Amino acid sequence: MGPTEVVEQYQPNFEAWIDQFNEWQTRIGFDSAWLGDYRFEIKFDWDTAGDTIEFGDFEGMPKWDRRMQVPQQTVCDAIISMVSVQGDTEFASVEQQWHLLESAPTEYDRKSAMRIMCEEQRHGWQMAYVLCNYFGDHGVREAQKLLERNSSANPVRGEDDRPRLLGSFNEPIDHWLDFFMFTHFIDRDGKFQLKMLSTSSFKPLAASMGPMLKEESFHLGTGANGIRRIVTQGTIPCALIQKYVNKWVSTGLDLFGVDESTSATWAYVYGIKGRYDEREATVPADRDHLNEESRAHYFDELNLEMERINARRKEGQSALFIPSDKFNRSVGKFHGKKHDLHGTPFEGSDEEWKEYLDSVLPNDDDEAALQEYFKEEWIQYREWKE
Amino acid sequence: MQAHALLSIDREELRPFFERVPELFEAHHLHESQNPDGYEELLYRIYRPYTSGMFDMIDEWMGHGYRNWHSDVEREVMLMLYAIRYPDTLLLESLSDETDLDVKRISGYLHFMKHTYSIWDEDTRKGLAKLGILIPGTDKADPFVYGAYITAIELLKDLAPYYSFIEHDVPRQRLFQAALAAYGRED
Repeated sequence: MGPTEVVEQYQPNFEAWIDQFNEWQTRIGFDSAWLGDYRFEIKFDWDTAGDTIEFGDFEGMPKWDRRMQVPQQTVCDAIISMVSVQGDTEFASVEQQWHLLESAPTEYDRKSAMRIMCEEQRHGWQMAYVLCNYFGDHGVREAQKLLERNSSANPVRGEDDRPRLLGSFNEPIDHWLDFFMFTHFIDRDGKFQLKMLSTSSFKPLAASMGPMLKEESFHLGTGANGIRRIVTQGTIPCALIQKYVNKWVSTGLDLFGVDESTSATWAYVYGIKGRYDEREATVPADRDHLNEESRAHYFDELNLEMERINARRKEGQSALFIPSDKFNRSVGKFHGKKHDLHGTPFEGSDEEWKEYLDSVLPNDDDEAALQEYFKEEWIQYREWKE
Repeated sequence: MQAHALLSIDREELRPFFERVPELFEAHHLHESQNPDGYEELLYRIYRPYTSGMFDMIDEWMGHGYRNWHSDVEREVMLMLYAIRYPDTLLLESLSDETDLDVKRISGYLHFMKHTYSIWDEDTRKGLAKLGILIPGTDKADPFVYGAYITAIELLKDLAPYYSFIEHDVPRQRLFQAALAAYGRED
């Protein structure tokens, strides 16, 4: 190949990544024609990103605009890891959800889900852009990996695919009740993660968060609103809905990571990832319990949201509630321990525990019952307004 | 219009407003005079095919009096509402003189039938003026004045930082219009 051809065929890293992204869409079964006139854009809000490092051991120093300004390789690696995990979740959720488009209960829901999937892909683009443009070959490789892993829940998944990094993003979303639960509980966790990165010492990462947070609020609003509409309609009994709440809350709580996390502590020391209320907080951070604190904020918010949902209940329907943060956990100090929905230690045998879980989490009979409810008017109608 | 506004707007002047959007929204939208439950009900109860009864529901929430419309006029307005696409407002000019629409009434129909159009409100106009965005006062459904009004709110929506966006089951146009109304009423 002559020098002219080399130049002609050279693709900037992010441009090459875009080609891979287009292949990813085809591979996972997402038809790019569904995007219509939506165009992926890279958006930064430099105004809200701040100029000075806001917390951690570098507090008071100028925020880092480029990789070369980052003082240590370990800090650089931690930033790459944060961006990669965030990007991984964005593409994963599309892999989990796109198959629901054909079974949307209303046009409003179909278009809302489509908007969410467009914006999740844009968020993935944003993270890939940060990786490719700020972190050299290492970043480019990590950006490629965002498209190589594949949610175990994706209906079009090859045998060689590697699963997504976080548990919730490999959970199947089989129907629209799960979709609303996911957007309410899991996208809400996403809001927390984005907010914690919005004060980051790495300025392009902090500046990426503002536009993503604006878009994310629609996603979790769709979830909360969807659950309210289901409860308002009153076709699906609250007792059945509660089982799906039980299923998703524990996995949402797990997403905040292990207790007494050293990686969370280091991320705070480096100023990469702050507390959820970093700018509003009046007390110093408890650096040894950062994940626990974020999880507690999330848990409080879930309880408040549940009050709003319950206000729509039809007469005779049982009140929905957020199960204890000890119930059915796979991460943290309650992992492997048996607590019931109210946080009381479960005293029975393993067999009785299995029976208990079967009674409070969705089982095959519940799924079958749900399919019957889906044949009725199960969600309050809402028109999509052009 | 938006490009022009972007060039002339003072973004520093917007900052104090943006920081208070959630609080201002609640002060206006959740005030009992605004009947927030009634508003949210209308978000669900207004859908195609539009009927006279839907006009009545919107009029009632908006506090408008009886519409003394001939059936032809009502049909004309309804056809306009089917045809119009956000952010177009020029279609308002196609309505005959007999329609004699006031901007507040038509903005209510547009808002509940399309959600992206904002309700016209004097306090909101004052709020925009406090931010340096001057929209002329009018009673008539003037397509240019109303067009400037909705574009200004759209622009604020675009420029607002993430913390202005509270999680609430209302369209974002209502979030900003209501916050502007509360802002406009302040001394």
